[in-house]
Order: sequence, then C-alpha cells, then structure tokens
Amino acid sequence: MKRPWYRFLYVRSALAKLGLALLAVLGTIGILLFVLFIETPRMEAQTKNFEGRSIQNGAAVYANNCSSCHGLDGKGLQGVAPALHSRYFFEQRLKDLEYTGSLHDYVKLTVAAGRPMNKQSQWAQMMPTWSSRYGGPLRDDQVEDVTSFVLNWREDAALQTAETDPWQPFQNAPMTDIYTGQQVETAPAAEVSSEPRPPQQLFMVDMGCVGCHNIDQPQTETNKGAIGPNLGNLYETAGTKVPGEDAATFVHNSIIEPNKYVEPGYNPVMPANFADRMSPEEIDSLVQWILDPNRQK
Amino acid sequence: MAVQPEVKKKSFLQTILDAADDVFTRVTAGISAGEVRRMLRGEPPGRPNPRLKPHSEAFLLHIKPTYYHESVTRFTHTFRLGLLSTYLFFVETITGLILMIWYAPTPERAYTDMIRLLSNVPLGQLMRDMHRLGAELMVVVVTLHMVRTYLTGSYKAPRQFTWFTGVLLLVLTLFLSFSGYLLPWDQLAYWAVTIGTSMAEAVPPPIVGETVNLLARGAPDIGANGLMRFYLLHVLFLPLALFLFFFVHYYKVVHFGISLPSDEEEVGQDTANKVPADRRVYFLPDVLIDESALLIAFTALMVLVSTFFFAAPLESIANPQSTPLHTVAPWYFYWLQGLLKIADKTIAGVYVPGILLVLLMAIPYLDRNPSRRGRDRRVAIISGVVAGIVIIVLSWMGTPYYAVQGAPAVEIVQELMPEEGMGPLREMGYAHLPLGAYDSRENATTEDEEFNVVLHEFNESIKAFAEKDPSFNEAYGVLTISQEQPQLKRITWDINWLSPDGKDEAFKRIFFLHENALYWEQYAVKDFSFLRNEQPAAGE
Repeated sequence: MKRPWYRFLYVRSALAKLGLALLAVLGTIGILLFVLFIETPRMEAQTKNFEGRSIQNGAAVYANNCSSCHGLDGKGLQGVAPALHSRYFFEQRLKDLEYTGSLHDYVKLTVAAGRPMNKQSQWAQMMPTWSSRYGGPLRDDQVEDVTSFVLNWREDAALQTAETDPWQPFQNAPMTDIYTGQQVETAPAAEVSSEPRPPQQLFMVDMGCVGCHNIDQPQTETNKGAIGPNLGNLYETAGTKVPGEDAATFVHNSIIEPNKYVEPGYNPVMPANFADRMSPEEIDSLVQWILDPNRQK
Repeated sequence: MAVQPEVKKKSFLQTILDAADDVFTRVTAGISAGEVRRMLRGEPPGRPNPRLKPHSEAFLLHIKPTYYHESVTRFTHTFRLGLLSTYLFFVETITGLILMIWYAPTPERAYTDMIRLLSNVPLGQLMRDMHRLGAELMVVVVTLHMVRTYLTGSYKAPRQFTWFTGVLLLVLTLFLSFSGYLLPWDQLAYWAVTIGTSMAEAVPPPIVGETVNLLARGAPDIGANGLMRFYLLHVLFLPLALFLFFFVHYYKVVHFGISLPSDEEEVGQDTANKVPADRRVYFLPDVLIDESALLIAFTALMVLVSTFFFAAPLESIANPQSTPLHTVAPWYFYWLQGLLKIADKTIAGVYVPGILLVLLMAIPYLDRNPSRRGRDRRVAIISGVVAGIVIIVLSWMGTPYYAVQGAPAVEIVQELMPEEGMGPLREMGYAHLPLGAYDSRENATTEDEEFNVVLHEFNESIKAFAEKDPSFNEAYGVLTISQEQPQLKRITWDINWLSPDGKDEAFKRIFFLHENALYWEQYAVKDFSFLRNEQPAAGE
C-alpha cells in the first residue's frame, strides 16, 4: 500500500497517545482555571453592559414616546408635562408626596399605569398608561428601560442650581423649594411680561401647545392627532365647528374656554387657564397666527 | 474423621493486594491490573483473550464490537466522524441540561434569563458558548460524515438502510439546531424562526400549510405558545427521536461492520465482517485508546475555541413589531434562503427541499453500480461534487450580499452601525466618539484616529453609492455625536440627496450608545479588555 505524505502525523505508540490525551486534559484544566479566574470581572462587565444597554434602549423609547411632552432633554414643557431632568425631581419630589418607595418604583409605576386622575392639574393632559399590561403600547422590558433612562439623569441633575433647575410648581400638590427650603405657593404665579410675546414662542415654547397639537399636519379622517386635533387645516374648518362662531371667534373661545367645545373623539384634557397666562393681545396674535395658512415658524 | 483442608497461609500484604486486584477487576468488568499493564506495554493478549470479557460483562461496552478490521481503524478512512457526532450529541445534552437550570421558556423571562446567565452565573457564558459551538459543529460533523460515506460508496449494499437512517439523523440534527435557535428570544432568534415556520405555511394545499404553521407557532404569530412548543421540541421530542434513530443507525453499523476501503476487496463483495485473524485490531485496548484520546483532544479544542474565539450571539430582545434589516437564517439554511430568493415559496420552500430529501434517502436504492471504487463511480462522484458546489453557491445567494440591497442611505448606515450586532462604530466604542457634527462634504478629521477611519468609510461609502446609483445624486451625509445623558451619547446619521427628478430627499437614523455597552461578533477573537480597565477613563 502506498504510504501517504502525511504519515509523519501518525502517532503509533499507545503511551504517546495517552500522553497527548493527558496533555489535552491538563490544557483544558488550565483554560478552565483561566476562565474561572476572570469570571468575576467578566460578570461585572456584562452586568454593566446590560445596564448600559437598558439605558440605550430607554433613550429610544423616550425619544419616540415621552419627549413630545416631557421635552427632548427631559426638562418638561410649561403647561404640558413636568420636568424629570430636575434636581427637585430627584431629591425632593418623593418627600413632598410622602411616598416611601424608591424613585425607581415611582417612575416605573407612573410609566406603567399612568396618572389617570390628574384632571385638576395645570398639565395639558393626563399621563397616559404605557404598559401593555394596562392597555398601553410598551412591553415590560421597555417600561424598565425607559425607567433606567430617566433615572440616569440623576448625576447631571445633581449639579443643577436654583437658576438651572427646570422644575415647575404643581398646582395640586405640595412642593418644597429645595434651594430655599420654603413651601411653594401652589397657585401658579402670573406670567408677567413687559411686552407681548410672539405667537411662535407662545405656541412652541411658553404654552407648550405643540406638545399635543401638530400645526403642520392637517386633521383628516385618516390623519388625526393622537392627543389633540392637528391644526394644519384649521383655517378651513374652524368656521364650521360651532354655529354662529366665525373662525377667529371659535379659535379664541377654544383657547380661553377649551371645554366648551371638545372635538368628538377627544378627551377634555386641555388646560383651562390660558386666559390667565397670556395677555388679550397675545391671544389675539396667537389666533391670527394659527389661522394664517402662510404662517412663519 | 473428616479431612480438614489445609489452611492456606497468606501474608497480610498479599491479602490486601488480592483484594485490591479483585476490586480493580470488578470496576473494569473483567480486566485485571496485570492485563492492563500488558495492554499498555503493547503485549498480545493470552488465549482465550481475557480482553473480551468486558464486552459481555459491561452494558456500555456490549454495543461495541470486540475487534475491527485493521484498515477501518485508520483515521483517514472514516475520520471517526460518526463517533464525533455521537459525542457532540452527548456534549449538547450535558451543556443543555446546565443551561436549562437557568432558563424558563416564556417571553417574559427567556431573554432576561439570557442576560442573567451571562452576567450572573459563573461559567454561564462558557456553557452557552460551548452549547452553541457544539450545535454548529454537530451540523458540520454530521454533514461531513455523510459526504465521507458518499465518497467512499459506503452506502451500497448491504448498508442502504444505514444510510437511510443516517439521512434521518441529519434532518433531526438540523431541526434540533434550528429549534434551539428561538430559545434566547432575541431578534435574531425570533425572525429566523418566523421565516422558518412561514415556509411550513407554503405546504399545499393551503389548509394543510396553515394548520402546520399554526401548530408550530401556537398562534398566528410566535408568542408564548410558540416558544413553549419550540422548547419542548428542542429539549424533549427531537432529542428522543434522535436517540432512537441513533441506536437503529448504530446497530446497523455494528451489524454490517464498517465498510473496508474499496481496493481491499473485490467489486460486489463485502468482507467487513470476515476479518482474518492477523488483521484484527481489538477494541481493548487499541481502539479505546484511539477513541478516547481523540475525544479528549476534541473536547480540549472545543473549550479552547469557545473561550477565546467564539461567542454565542445575543441581539436585542425579540420585537414582533420590527423586523431588523437583513434578517438571515442560520448559516446551515443559507442555501434554502438562497433558493427562496430565486423561486416561489411553495417551490423553493417545500417541493425542492422535499424532493432533495427523498432523493438523498433513496440514493442507495437508485445507484445500481455495485463498485465502491472511485474510478468506477465517475458519474456519482461528479454529481456529488456538483451538488456540493450548487449548495455553496446557493448559500452565498442566501447571504444579504445577494439581491437584497436596500436604499443606498439605509445600506450606508447599516454597514457602519447595523440595527443589530456590532459594526465598526460600536466596535470603536463610546470613548472614540468625539462630540460634534461631521459633514461628509468637508472631509472633517478629528484628533481620534479610529474615529477618522469610520468617518472616512462613511464619506467613501456615500461617494461610492452616489456613483453607482442613479437615484442617489449629490449625496452628502452628516454624522452628529451629541451627549444625551451622562455616559450616553446620541449618534445621528443624516443623509441628504437629490432624487432623479431633483427633489430633496433625506434619511435620518438615530442610535444611542452607552459607555458600558459591549458588543461582540460570533466568530472572532474575544475581547478581554474588561480585564484592563477597572474604570475606563472618560472619553473626553
């Protein structure tokens, strides 16, 4: 029989075979010892990894679902939703509420079940239910992730001062100013401004209308705003809503007395305090701006 | 007066030694210590051969032949692939049982259990990597075993039925591997199995296909029921079926003997069971030593590879609402995915694989050529090689490189930062992402060399797509890195271009990257950098 070229690889002696097997056993034990030796730091790295990934995933959930009301950087929107990226929130909120659980539980429960009874507050709408367990859109892991994300502001928020803390007084809850230690007046301070603010600023920032109303999209059968109706084609439809009110009157009344006429299919959640927060001139300019099809942003 | 037998005088030491030898002989099922010594010295057995006793005494050895033909014990005749397949099944059972301790097959827990296994169970990652590696190796080894059998013509009479059961075992191995795919409940698992089961839907007539699909998934979509079904298939039904067919297969192997190299016997003869006395290699000790040395070396290699070069993948948690871009089947089903790209689902997913399987099982009954010699089997060998090449080409067509290019902007981002998995940007990591906005038109560079490489790739990739795609004109991209939170950066990919009719088009993709996030590739040198940095220095 022909002798193959690879015959130098042949191991013939039984003892040599057993010796190689023994070497392999020793090598395996060596590798396993190495694995055991690095197991603690490896598990720590993996723990941190998955904590980090949870924050990462939470950031995406927040950007898609929460940022329209709580603000892109979590600093809240006036009249729409409270600030989360706030030293007050991390250090004092639970004490004011006399809540004895952890902040993690507080955030997670609020995200999961929402705030279904907050009708009297100054916020534009109730916190919706987010967990799929209570009829919302998020899975359990997403609720947990977004909680991790919100709590990850803690370090940054701790550096805030009285000037940079974006917290806003709640109308219906006791609050302590952590910077002065004083109990805060729960009625909202009138927003005094020396000169009228432009309607863009009122809509986008100060009144936070944009949190619920989309000004660029038209309101149609197939394209309805989720929280409040879209306002993109309001200049065409406003005059037809309430008999006897022309477009300008209708919009004006809807701002100062929002619950008088509520669009079918929507909840009466629009705050009723805009008349106190804007001067009559500002309201007029806002109405004009909303009804202007060629409005400047 | 009764005759009293003379009391034997034995020293204390001798009594102890005899007792020890007795225990030894019981443990080895009939081989004394002296016989073991003679075995290791390579001395021939006495007559009658005392080394045959364990084959009748010990349950585990009674299924092994007492001797083999010298020619079939040569490694390069069989490569001992059958033994390796069996051993891998054993490895999978052991590692699988260990993984089962930390696993609950429900959508709420399965993925969390994977995280817990990786971050909280000592040796958990090694067990998971070994199990995954073993599963993929088992597919490889079983396939190679079949190829070897085909090339040496060993499926011919009288071993037709052995081949038939072997093909069944190959199918069971594939299903076993695939059913385990779903259990981590990540995106990779979820969508591979969704695609897999959707092929069952194509079985005609529709009522049958829909029923089969519904039975496999437990609901119109895979959910809690589907996961439980795949779990039970994976840990109970398929292993039991494999176990049963293994013994049928092995019984046939022992019954007919391993076929000799074809040039050692006349065409049409089968003398595997008529081994001349001078060509016998006894199982004890020669074959036992060979087999155990091979398996020990193989185990050592598996531990080595799964410690340093292989990591079982884990993507983000299964999300039935979003299909990741470029979803692929496991690599051993790439050929099927390739077929599905060029033909209708019923043809490519049901008829072709079905016919192939029947043909494969029927090969020994169709091939009437009595010779097992290569020079007499040109047609068979060439068609085998052609089939192999076709499978390889189809497999290549099954990868995302063939015919599933998305829009240019989508592909550019996918290449640098895929929706799932690592990609170059995540490989660099958080520390190498300097804050700022980088416009591809300015060819900006930063102080970070690694980041510059990715930036360069981004620019080049946009240019390359702009040249070859007529609907992607005057394209430019902006990569923005901003600090979202402490330890969390936002990575925004903006790509703008002009459509053929001159309209502005834009694509935007936002990702977040945390400082501690780790990503890994399945087949790559493992990253042990966590050993170096206790607390990594802040990037800025």
